Amino acid sequence: MDNLLNENLAWAVLFGHIAIIVAGGFITVLSESLIRALMGLILTLFGVAGLFFLMAAPFIGLMQILIYVGAVSVLIFFAIMLTNAWPGGDEHGNISGKKVIYAALAAIAPAVFLGTAAIRTAPPSIFTPDETQVSELGQFLLEPYILPFELISLLLTISMAGAVLLVFERRKKK
Amino acid sequence: MIEAIPTQLIIILVGLAATMAFVGLNAILLVYLERKVAGFIHRRPGPYEVGPHGILQPFADGLKLVGKQIFTPKGADSVLFWLAPMISMAPAIVCFLVIPFGPNVLIFNTNVGLVLILAFTGINVLALCIAGWTSQNKYALVGAARGVSQSVAYEIPLLLAVLPIIFMTGTFNLYDITLGQGAWPWQWFIVYQPVAFVIFFICALAETNRAPFDLPEAESELTAGFHTEYSGMGFALFFLSEYAYMVIAACVTAVLFLGGFQGPVVSGWWWFLAKVYILLLIMIWIRWTFPRVRFDQLLNICWKWLIPLAIINLLITLLVIAL
Repeated sequence: MDNLLNENLAWAVLFGHIAIIVAGGFITVLSESLIRALMGLILTLFGVAGLFFLMAAPFIGLMQILIYVGAVSVLIFFAIMLTNAWPGGDEHGNISGKKVIYAALAAIAPAVFLGTAAIRTAPPSIFTPDETQVSELGQFLLEPYILPFELISLLLTISMAGAVLLVFERRKKK
Repeated sequence: MIEAIPTQLIIILVGLAATMAFVGLNAILLVYLERKVAGFIHRRPGPYEVGPHGILQPFADGLKLVGKQIFTPKGADSVLFWLAPMISMAPAIVCFLVIPFGPNVLIFNTNVGLVLILAFTGINVLALCIAGWTSQNKYALVGAARGVSQSVAYEIPLLLAVLPIIFMTGTFNLYDITLGQGAWPWQWFIVYQPVAFVIFFICALAETNRAPFDLPEAESELTAGFHTEYSGMGFALFFLSEYAYMVIAACVTAVLFLGGFQGPVVSGWWWFLAKVYILLLIMIWIRWTFPRVRFDQLLNICWKWLIPLAIINLLITLLVIAL
């Protein structure tokens, strides 16, 4: 009885999160102003963080909030500030029916593709999620996956150096 | 049916309610303290009229704010405009859940407590952005832009100053970090990591937009910065959240560097509150002592001094631990 209740609760929480994610996605696509679209995106990111919590990976969920909500969306905010978009919203024009169909197809195609791939090649999962310690996570990244890990950090360093270089070149022209 | 609700959920809900009360009470106390200390430093009595020694002044302020008309600027996106103060306030309350106030006064013991606080305090910048953008006001926008570049910059040395403590204790759990230190002051991490403490405290001041780093709301330049256009409870919520973040900053500093709830005589929440209030008084003292830094000075302090210092401190700590 208790188990069944917990399971039902878990399903309810799962679908609640999915609803939040989907609602965020729709707000992002349908809103008239860029800032509202960004709010939708943030809602989606929060929903995904919630899914990580549900899968007993609170560290990853918090990293999602720290990096995507706290940093990336603030950067997007800055980009929007530079585009001279008005809070009232001037992004909304007349959209032709063709465009709507293409957009729907573009949205559904990856969902179907990724969904089938995920369902077909689902890794064996455990019923009661076990919280992974952060130290185990670190060892996992630094022992078997040390090369990709280091390559990613190299990539990030290169892109940062590139950004700094671009700024310096533009300054010289002035 | 009552048994069907998980106890953890009940604890968290009760904890959230208690936290909100705590935040409100703290704000009342801190407003009074701030004005009294400011008065003391300016050699004037401070609030004196409402109640004996002005102790009812915060309540009068609160009533005034509640009674004010709520006003949305013309042409502003009213949903986002009123969402901003809520986005600012809500994460602050979550952060209190993981702070160990005492050996038994801890609402939610989790292994990622410190990451939770760092993640949720980062959301405040977003509220600041939205407030500045939707206000349709130049001063608000300039305040928001300043706020973002300030908190993005100071997040880096803040994290770098926390890392040595994490390496020394090997955990993100605030309760375990507290237990990793002894009861006596020389067993606290402030003795082992004085540089990290100074860097962390400076960054905490900058992250909470406190003077001398209060550029996003610099009164003499930007009227009130990002919350210029907010009236009544909108402004009050921003105000509350600012004080809530101050208390969080003081709590985290107390846990990381000052031994948390542990004290020389009898450990308990009283030691924790005493440490937190001493830190808050130091914050107020700093506010009324130092002039506001210029914007280039602000960024220079961060990028040219704090970050290199924090990295050197981290490397030395790693070397000592490895040996």
